[in-house]
Amino acid sequence: MTGLSLLPLLLEDALWSAVAAIGFSMLFNVPVRTLPGCAILAAVGHMTRSLLLQLDLGVEVATLAGATLIGFIGVLFARRWHAPALVFTVSSAIPMVPGALAFQAMLGLLRLPYADAAARTFILTDVAIDSIKTALILGAIAVGIAAPSLLFVRQRPPA
Amino acid sequence: MQAAKVSAAKPPLSREALRDVIDLSLWAGQLLLQNGSDAERIEETIHRLGTALGCDWMDILVSPNVIAVTTISGEEFRTKIRRVIGLNVNMTIVSAINRLSRRVEDGELDRFGVRQELERISRIGSHYNRWLVVVMVGLACAAFGRLFGGDLPVFAVTFVAAAVAMVVRQELNRLHYNLFLVTIVTAFVAGVLASLAARLQLSQQPQTALAASVLLLVPGVSLINSAEDLIKGHMVTGITRGIIGGLVSLSIALGLALAIQVMGVRGL
Repeated sequence: MTGLSLLPLLLEDALWSAVAAIGFSMLFNVPVRTLPGCAILAAVGHMTRSLLLQLDLGVEVATLAGATLIGFIGVLFARRWHAPALVFTVSSAIPMVPGALAFQAMLGLLRLPYADAAARTFILTDVAIDSIKTALILGAIAVGIAAPSLLFVRQRPPA
Repeated sequence: MQAAKVSAAKPPLSREALRDVIDLSLWAGQLLLQNGSDAERIEETIHRLGTALGCDWMDILVSPNVIAVTTISGEEFRTKIRRVIGLNVNMTIVSAINRLSRRVEDGELDRFGVRQELERISRIGSHYNRWLVVVMVGLACAAFGRLFGGDLPVFAVTFVAAAVAMVVRQELNRLHYNLFLVTIVTAFVAGVLASLAARLQLSQQPQTALAASVLLLVPGVSLINSAEDLIKGHMVTGITRGIIGGLVSLSIALGLALAIQVMGVRGL
Protein backbone atom coordinates (compact mmCIF):
# COMPACT_ATOMS: atom_id res chain seq x y z
CA MET A 1 0.00 0.00 0.00
CA THR A 2 1.34 3.42 -0.85
CA GLY A 3 1.58 6.22 1.65
CA LEU A 4 -1.13 8.26 -0.04
CA SER A 5 -3.79 5.58 0.12
CA LEU A 6 -3.17 5.25 3.84
CA LEU A 7 -3.96 8.89 4.41
CA PRO A 8 -7.78 8.74 4.71
CA LEU A 9 -7.49 5.79 7.06
CA LEU A 10 -5.00 7.62 9.27
CA LEU A 11 -7.03 10.82 9.31
CA GLU A 12 -10.13 8.95 10.37
CA ASP A 13 -8.05 7.24 13.02
CA ALA A 14 -6.83 10.64 14.26
CA LEU A 15 -10.37 12.00 14.38
CA TRP A 16 -11.84 9.15 16.42
CA SER A 17 -8.96 8.91 18.84
CA ALA A 18 -9.20 12.67 19.44
CA VAL A 19 -12.94 12.34 20.15
CA ALA A 20 -12.28 9.44 22.53
CA ALA A 21 -9.55 11.40 24.31
CA ILE A 22 -11.78 14.47 24.74
CA GLY A 23 -14.51 12.34 26.35
CA PHE A 24 -12.07 10.76 28.78
CA SER A 25 -10.30 14.07 29.47
CA MET A 26 -13.62 15.48 30.60
CA LEU A 27 -14.16 12.45 32.78
CA PHE A 28 -10.74 13.12 34.33
CA ASN A 29 -11.64 16.81 34.73
CA VAL A 30 -8.56 18.19 32.98
CA PRO A 31 -8.27 22.01 33.04
CA VAL A 32 -10.35 23.40 30.16
CA ARG A 33 -7.33 25.13 28.60
CA THR A 34 -5.51 21.79 28.22
CA LEU A 35 -8.35 20.07 26.36
CA PRO A 36 -7.09 20.93 22.82
CA GLY A 37 -3.63 19.69 23.76
CA CYS A 38 -5.03 16.37 24.96
CA ALA A 39 -7.00 15.91 21.74
CA ILE A 40 -4.05 16.76 19.46
CA LEU A 41 -1.69 14.52 21.39
CA ALA A 42 -4.11 11.59 21.33
CA ALA A 43 -4.57 11.99 17.57
CA VAL A 44 -0.82 12.14 16.92
CA GLY A 45 -0.03 9.20 19.19
CA HIS A 46 -2.76 6.90 17.94
CA MET A 47 -2.13 7.81 14.31
CA THR A 48 1.52 6.91 14.73
CA ARG A 49 0.55 3.60 16.24
CA SER A 50 -1.89 2.82 13.42
CA LEU A 51 0.67 3.76 10.79
CA LEU A 52 3.21 1.38 12.30
CA LEU A 53 0.55 -1.34 12.58
CA GLN A 54 -0.12 -0.88 8.87
CA LEU A 55 3.60 -1.34 8.26
CA ASP A 56 3.25 -4.75 9.95
CA LEU A 57 4.99 -3.90 13.18
CA GLY A 58 3.70 -5.64 16.30
CA VAL A 59 1.07 -3.85 18.39
CA GLU A 60 3.46 -3.61 21.35
CA VAL A 61 6.24 -1.93 19.36
CA ALA A 62 3.74 0.36 17.63
CA THR A 63 2.25 1.32 21.00
CA LEU A 64 5.70 2.01 22.43
CA ALA A 65 6.45 4.34 19.53
CA GLY A 66 3.11 6.16 19.81
CA ALA A 67 3.40 6.49 23.59
CA THR A 68 7.01 7.73 23.39
CA LEU A 69 5.90 10.42 20.96
CA ILE A 70 3.10 11.34 23.38
CA GLY A 71 5.61 11.45 26.22
CA PHE A 72 7.97 13.86 24.51
CA ILE A 73 5.34 16.15 22.97
CA GLY A 74 3.58 16.07 26.36
CA VAL A 75 6.63 17.71 27.93
CA LEU A 76 6.47 20.50 25.31
CA PHE A 77 2.72 20.94 25.84
CA ALA A 78 3.28 21.06 29.59
CA ARG A 79 5.48 24.12 29.13
CA ARG A 80 3.16 25.68 26.58
CA TRP A 81 -0.04 25.26 28.63
CA HIS A 82 1.47 25.40 32.13
CA ALA A 83 0.19 22.10 33.43
CA PRO A 84 2.05 18.94 34.48
CA ALA A 85 2.87 16.66 31.58
CA LEU A 86 0.80 13.83 33.04
CA VAL A 87 -2.42 15.77 32.38
CA PHE A 88 -1.66 15.51 28.66
CA THR A 89 0.09 12.17 28.51
CA VAL A 90 -2.34 10.07 30.57
CA SER A 91 -5.47 11.49 28.93
CA SER A 92 -4.13 11.05 25.43
CA ALA A 93 -2.77 7.55 26.07
CA ILE A 94 -6.28 6.35 27.00
CA PRO A 95 -7.25 5.38 23.42
CA MET A 96 -4.27 3.01 23.39
CA VAL A 97 -5.14 1.31 26.70
CA PRO A 98 -6.08 -2.30 25.88
CA GLY A 99 -9.35 -2.17 27.81
CA ALA A 100 -11.21 -4.54 25.50
CA LEU A 101 -8.37 -7.08 25.70
CA ALA A 102 -8.35 -6.85 29.50
CA PHE A 103 -12.01 -7.67 29.97
CA GLN A 104 -11.99 -10.20 27.15
CA ALA A 105 -9.38 -12.10 29.15
CA MET A 106 -11.64 -11.88 32.19
CA LEU A 107 -14.68 -13.00 30.16
CA GLY A 108 -12.70 -16.02 29.04
CA LEU A 109 -11.83 -16.89 32.62
CA LEU A 110 -15.49 -16.62 33.60
CA ARG A 111 -16.47 -18.93 30.74
CA LEU A 112 -13.80 -21.53 31.47
CA PRO A 113 -15.53 -23.64 34.16
CA TYR A 114 -18.67 -24.08 32.05
CA ALA A 115 -17.05 -24.82 28.72
CA ASP A 116 -16.94 -28.40 27.42
CA ALA A 117 -13.68 -30.26 27.80
CA ALA A 118 -12.58 -29.86 24.19
CA ALA A 119 -12.97 -26.07 24.21
CA ARG A 120 -11.18 -25.49 27.50
CA THR A 121 -7.65 -25.59 26.18
CA PHE A 122 -8.49 -23.08 23.49
CA ILE A 123 -10.20 -20.73 25.95
CA LEU A 124 -7.28 -20.96 28.36
CA THR A 125 -4.80 -20.21 25.58
CA ASP A 126 -6.87 -17.20 24.51
CA VAL A 127 -7.00 -15.95 28.10
CA ALA A 128 -3.24 -16.30 28.44
CA ILE A 129 -2.58 -14.50 25.16
CA ASP A 130 -4.99 -11.68 25.96
CA SER A 131 -3.48 -11.23 29.43
CA ILE A 132 0.09 -11.17 28.19
CA LYS A 133 -0.79 -8.72 25.42
CA THR A 134 -2.62 -6.49 27.89
CA ALA A 135 0.40 -6.42 30.20
CA LEU A 136 2.86 -5.79 27.38
CA ILE A 137 0.80 -2.99 25.83
CA LEU A 138 0.30 -1.34 29.23
CA GLY A 139 4.03 -1.61 29.87
CA ALA A 140 4.72 -0.05 26.46
CA ILE A 141 2.38 2.85 27.24
CA ALA A 142 3.98 3.47 30.63
CA VAL A 143 7.56 3.24 29.34
CA GLY A 144 6.65 5.49 26.44
CA ILE A 145 5.04 8.30 28.41
CA ALA A 146 7.72 8.03 31.10
CA ALA A 147 10.51 8.05 28.50
CA PRO A 148 11.45 11.74 28.91
CA SER A 149 11.83 11.40 32.68
CA LEU A 150 13.53 8.00 32.41
CA LEU A 151 16.08 9.34 29.95
CA PHE A 152 16.71 12.87 31.16
CA VAL A 153 15.81 13.12 34.85
CA ARG A 154 18.09 10.53 36.37
CA GLN A 155 18.57 11.05 40.06
CA ARG A 156 21.33 10.00 42.34
CA PRO A 157 19.86 8.51 45.51
CA PRO A 158 20.39 10.91 48.43
CA ALA A 159 23.54 10.11 50.40
CA MET B 1 34.12 29.20 52.17
CA GLN B 2 32.93 28.90 55.75
CA ALA B 3 30.68 31.95 55.36
CA ALA B 4 29.03 30.55 52.25
CA LYS B 5 28.25 27.34 54.06
CA VAL B 6 26.58 29.18 56.95
CA SER B 7 24.41 31.27 54.67
CA ALA B 8 23.33 28.20 52.67
CA ALA B 9 22.05 26.41 55.79
CA LYS B 10 18.43 27.15 56.58
CA PRO B 11 17.48 28.61 59.94
CA PRO B 12 15.72 25.99 62.08
CA LEU B 13 11.93 26.31 62.03
CA SER B 14 9.87 27.00 65.13
CA ARG B 15 7.78 24.12 66.47
CA GLU B 16 4.66 25.71 65.13
CA ALA B 17 6.15 26.26 61.67
CA LEU B 18 7.41 22.69 61.54
CA ARG B 19 3.96 21.41 62.46
CA ASP B 20 2.42 23.52 59.71
CA VAL B 21 4.93 22.37 57.10
CA ILE B 22 4.27 18.68 57.74
CA ASP B 23 0.54 19.26 57.81
CA LEU B 24 0.48 21.21 54.55
CA SER B 25 2.81 18.91 52.63
CA LEU B 26 0.79 15.86 53.74
CA TRP B 27 -2.39 17.59 52.65
CA ALA B 28 -0.92 18.30 49.21
CA GLY B 29 0.25 14.69 48.96
CA GLN B 30 -3.17 13.42 49.97
CA LEU B 31 -4.86 15.48 47.25
CA LEU B 32 -2.42 14.07 44.68
CA LEU B 33 -2.90 10.45 45.79
CA GLN B 34 -6.69 10.80 45.79
CA ASN B 35 -6.81 12.32 42.35
CA GLY B 36 -4.77 10.06 40.14
CA SER B 37 -1.11 11.02 40.45
CA ASP B 38 1.71 8.49 40.25
CA ALA B 39 3.81 7.81 43.34
CA GLU B 40 6.95 9.45 42.00
CA ARG B 41 5.18 12.78 41.51
CA ILE B 42 3.67 12.62 45.01
CA GLU B 43 7.09 12.12 46.58
CA GLU B 44 8.66 14.86 44.49
CA THR B 45 5.92 17.36 45.22
CA ILE B 46 5.87 16.74 48.97
CA HIS B 47 9.64 17.04 49.09
CA ARG B 48 9.67 20.23 47.03
CA LEU B 49 6.89 21.82 49.06
CA GLY B 50 8.42 20.96 52.43
CA THR B 51 11.94 22.08 51.62
CA ALA B 52 10.66 25.28 49.99
CA LEU B 53 8.72 26.05 53.18
CA GLY B 54 11.93 25.90 55.16
CA CYS B 55 12.65 22.27 56.11
CA ASP B 56 16.10 20.79 55.59
CA TRP B 57 14.84 17.43 54.38
CA MET B 58 11.66 15.41 53.95
CA ASP B 59 11.42 11.62 54.04
CA ILE B 60 8.30 10.35 52.34
CA LEU B 61 6.62 6.96 52.17
CA VAL B 62 3.76 6.67 49.72
CA SER B 63 1.52 3.63 50.21
CA PRO B 64 -1.67 2.90 48.32
CA ASN B 65 -3.82 4.42 51.06
CA VAL B 66 -1.40 6.00 53.53
CA ILE B 67 1.23 8.72 53.22
CA ALA B 68 3.89 9.00 55.93
CA VAL B 69 6.19 11.99 56.09
CA THR B 70 9.08 12.98 58.33
CA THR B 71 10.19 16.60 58.29
CA ILE B 72 13.64 17.53 59.51
CA SER B 73 14.71 21.04 60.44
CA GLY B 74 17.89 21.67 62.39
CA GLU B 75 17.79 19.42 65.46
CA GLU B 76 14.04 18.94 65.35
CA PHE B 77 12.04 16.40 63.43
CA ARG B 78 8.41 15.43 63.19
CA THR B 79 6.68 12.40 61.69
CA LYS B 80 3.06 12.15 60.72
CA ILE B 81 0.98 9.72 58.73
CA ARG B 82 -2.27 10.34 56.95
CA ARG B 83 -4.87 7.86 55.84
CA VAL B 84 -5.99 8.50 52.29
CA ILE B 85 -9.25 7.12 51.01
CA GLY B 86 -11.01 7.65 47.74
CA LEU B 87 -9.91 6.93 44.22
CA ASN B 88 -10.86 9.72 41.89
CA VAL B 89 -9.23 11.17 38.86
CA ASN B 90 -9.18 14.96 38.85
CA MET B 91 -6.41 16.34 36.71
CA THR B 92 -7.26 19.95 37.59
CA ILE B 93 -6.38 19.27 41.22
CA VAL B 94 -3.14 17.49 40.22
CA SER B 95 -2.28 20.45 37.98
CA ALA B 96 -3.12 23.02 40.68
CA ILE B 97 -0.95 21.28 43.31
CA ASN B 98 1.91 21.15 40.83
CA ARG B 99 1.63 24.88 40.22
CA LEU B 100 1.33 25.56 43.96
CA SER B 101 4.58 23.76 44.70
CA ARG B 102 6.37 25.80 42.06
CA ARG B 103 4.99 29.07 43.41
CA VAL B 104 6.20 28.16 46.89
CA GLU B 105 9.62 27.36 45.45
CA ASP B 106 9.72 30.78 43.79
CA GLY B 107 8.99 32.34 47.17
CA GLU B 108 5.56 33.67 46.17
CA LEU B 109 3.69 31.91 48.97
CA ASP B 110 4.42 31.33 52.66
CA ARG B 111 2.80 28.64 54.77
CA PHE B 112 -0.30 30.76 55.41
CA GLY B 113 -0.75 31.36 51.70
CA VAL B 114 -0.29 27.64 51.03
CA ARG B 115 -3.04 26.77 53.51
CA GLN B 116 -5.44 29.15 51.77
CA GLU B 117 -4.55 27.76 48.36
CA LEU B 118 -4.97 24.14 49.51
CA GLU B 119 -8.38 24.99 50.91
CA ARG B 120 -9.34 26.41 47.53
CA ILE B 121 -7.88 23.48 45.58
CA SER B 122 -9.58 20.84 47.71
CA ARG B 123 -12.93 22.37 46.79
CA ILE B 124 -12.34 22.20 43.01
CA GLY B 125 -15.18 20.23 41.46
CA SER B 126 -15.86 19.29 37.87
CA HIS B 127 -15.59 22.03 35.23
CA TYR B 128 -17.76 20.16 32.88
CA ASN B 129 -21.53 20.08 32.94
CA ARG B 130 -22.84 16.66 33.86
CA TRP B 131 -24.82 16.18 30.65
CA LEU B 132 -21.94 17.38 28.51
CA VAL B 133 -19.82 14.65 30.09
CA VAL B 134 -22.58 12.10 29.40
CA VAL B 135 -22.71 13.05 25.72
CA MET B 136 -18.93 13.21 25.31
CA VAL B 137 -18.34 9.89 27.07
CA GLY B 138 -21.01 8.35 24.85
CA LEU B 139 -19.25 9.78 21.81
CA ALA B 140 -15.88 8.59 23.10
CA CYS B 141 -17.09 4.99 23.37
CA ALA B 142 -18.77 5.26 19.96
CA ALA B 143 -15.43 6.54 18.61
CA PHE B 144 -13.77 3.43 20.05
CA GLY B 145 -16.39 1.41 18.19
CA ARG B 146 -15.22 3.07 14.97
CA LEU B 147 -11.58 2.42 15.84
CA PHE B 148 -12.49 -1.27 16.29
CA GLY B 149 -13.96 -1.18 12.77
CA GLY B 150 -17.64 -0.88 13.66
CA ASP B 151 -20.19 0.43 11.15
CA LEU B 152 -22.72 3.25 11.57
CA PRO B 153 -25.40 1.24 13.48
CA VAL B 154 -22.66 0.11 15.88
CA PHE B 155 -21.68 3.76 16.34
CA ALA B 156 -25.27 4.76 17.17
CA VAL B 157 -26.00 1.83 19.50
CA THR B 158 -22.69 2.28 21.31
CA PHE B 159 -23.35 5.98 21.78
CA VAL B 160 -26.76 5.37 23.38
CA ALA B 161 -25.58 2.44 25.50
CA ALA B 162 -22.50 4.24 26.81
CA ALA B 163 -24.34 7.51 27.48
CA VAL B 164 -27.10 5.77 29.45
CA ALA B 165 -24.48 3.73 31.30
CA MET B 166 -22.66 6.94 32.20
CA VAL B 167 -25.83 8.38 33.74
CA VAL B 168 -26.27 5.18 35.77
CA ARG B 169 -22.66 5.37 36.89
CA GLN B 170 -22.97 9.02 37.93
CA GLU B 171 -26.10 8.26 39.95
CA LEU B 172 -24.57 5.25 41.71
CA ASN B 173 -21.38 7.20 42.46
CA ARG B 174 -23.48 10.01 43.91
CA LEU B 175 -24.92 7.48 46.36
CA HIS B 176 -21.35 6.32 47.20
CA TYR B 177 -21.80 2.68 46.32
CA ASN B 178 -18.80 0.38 46.23
CA LEU B 179 -16.56 0.83 43.16
CA PHE B 180 -16.87 -2.79 41.99
CA LEU B 181 -20.62 -2.87 42.47
CA VAL B 182 -21.00 0.34 40.46
CA THR B 183 -18.82 -1.16 37.73
CA ILE B 184 -20.78 -4.42 37.50
CA VAL B 185 -24.16 -2.67 37.37
CA THR B 186 -22.98 -0.08 34.84
CA ALA B 187 -21.40 -2.73 32.61
CA PHE B 188 -24.64 -4.73 32.80
CA VAL B 189 -26.73 -1.73 31.70
CA ALA B 190 -24.31 -0.92 28.87
CA GLY B 191 -24.23 -4.58 27.83
CA VAL B 192 -28.03 -4.95 27.75
CA LEU B 193 -28.44 -1.84 25.59
CA ALA B 194 -25.55 -2.77 23.31
CA SER B 195 -27.05 -6.25 22.83
CA LEU B 196 -29.94 -4.58 21.05
CA ALA B 197 -27.63 -4.24 18.05
CA ALA B 198 -27.61 -8.04 17.88
CA ARG B 199 -31.23 -8.61 18.93
CA LEU B 200 -32.66 -6.17 16.40
CA GLN B 201 -30.11 -7.30 13.77
CA LEU B 202 -28.97 -3.74 13.19
CA SER B 203 -25.43 -4.58 12.22
CA GLN B 204 -23.14 -7.25 10.81
CA GLN B 205 -20.73 -6.95 13.72
CA PRO B 206 -22.87 -6.49 16.87
CA GLN B 207 -20.04 -7.75 19.11
CA THR B 208 -18.16 -4.51 18.46
CA ALA B 209 -20.95 -2.54 20.14
CA LEU B 210 -20.74 -4.84 23.19
CA ALA B 211 -16.99 -4.33 23.53
CA ALA B 212 -17.02 -0.58 22.91
CA SER B 213 -19.95 0.41 25.10
CA VAL B 214 -18.29 -0.65 28.37
CA LEU B 215 -15.00 1.12 27.67
CA LEU B 216 -16.05 4.09 29.78
CA LEU B 217 -15.42 1.82 32.78
CA VAL B 218 -11.88 0.76 31.87
CA PRO B 219 -9.60 1.88 34.72
CA GLY B 220 -7.10 3.51 32.37
CA VAL B 221 -5.46 5.78 34.91
CA SER B 222 -5.06 2.98 37.47
CA LEU B 223 -3.52 0.69 34.86
CA ILE B 224 -1.13 3.30 33.42
CA ASN B 225 -0.11 4.51 36.90
CA SER B 226 0.38 0.91 37.97
CA ALA B 227 2.82 0.22 35.16
CA GLU B 228 4.56 3.56 35.70
CA ASP B 229 4.94 3.01 39.46
CA LEU B 230 6.35 -0.49 38.87
CA ILE B 231 8.87 0.82 36.34
CA LYS B 232 10.02 3.56 38.69
CA GLY B 233 10.42 1.21 41.65
CA HIS B 234 7.28 2.04 43.65
CA MET B 235 6.36 -1.62 43.90
CA VAL B 236 3.64 -1.45 46.57
CA THR B 237 1.57 1.26 44.91
CA GLY B 238 2.22 -0.32 41.51
CA ILE B 239 1.00 -3.77 42.55
CA THR B 240 -2.01 -2.38 44.36
CA ARG B 241 -3.09 -0.21 41.45
CA GLY B 242 -2.60 -3.17 39.12
CA ILE B 243 -4.84 -5.34 41.27
CA ILE B 244 -7.48 -2.61 41.45
CA GLY B 245 -7.30 -2.29 37.66
CA GLY B 246 -7.61 -6.07 37.28
CA LEU B 247 -10.57 -6.28 39.64
CA VAL B 248 -12.37 -3.45 37.87
CA SER B 249 -11.76 -5.25 34.55
CA LEU B 250 -13.15 -8.43 36.13
CA SER B 251 -16.20 -6.47 37.29
CA ILE B 252 -16.74 -5.17 33.75
CA ALA B 253 -16.54 -8.74 32.48
CA LEU B 254 -19.02 -9.94 35.13
CA GLY B 255 -21.57 -7.26 34.25
CA LEU B 256 -21.11 -7.92 30.55
CA ALA B 257 -21.37 -11.71 30.94
CA LEU B 258 -24.60 -11.25 32.88
CA ALA B 259 -26.00 -8.99 30.15
CA ILE B 260 -25.01 -11.49 27.45
CA GLN B 261 -26.79 -14.28 29.38
CA VAL B 262 -29.94 -12.24 30.00
CA MET B 263 -30.19 -11.00 26.43
CA GLY B 264 -29.28 -14.36 24.92
CA VAL B 265 -26.80 -12.95 22.41
CA ARG B 266 -23.48 -14.33 21.24
CA GLY B 267 -20.61 -13.19 23.44
CA LEU B 268 -17.34 -11.56 22.46
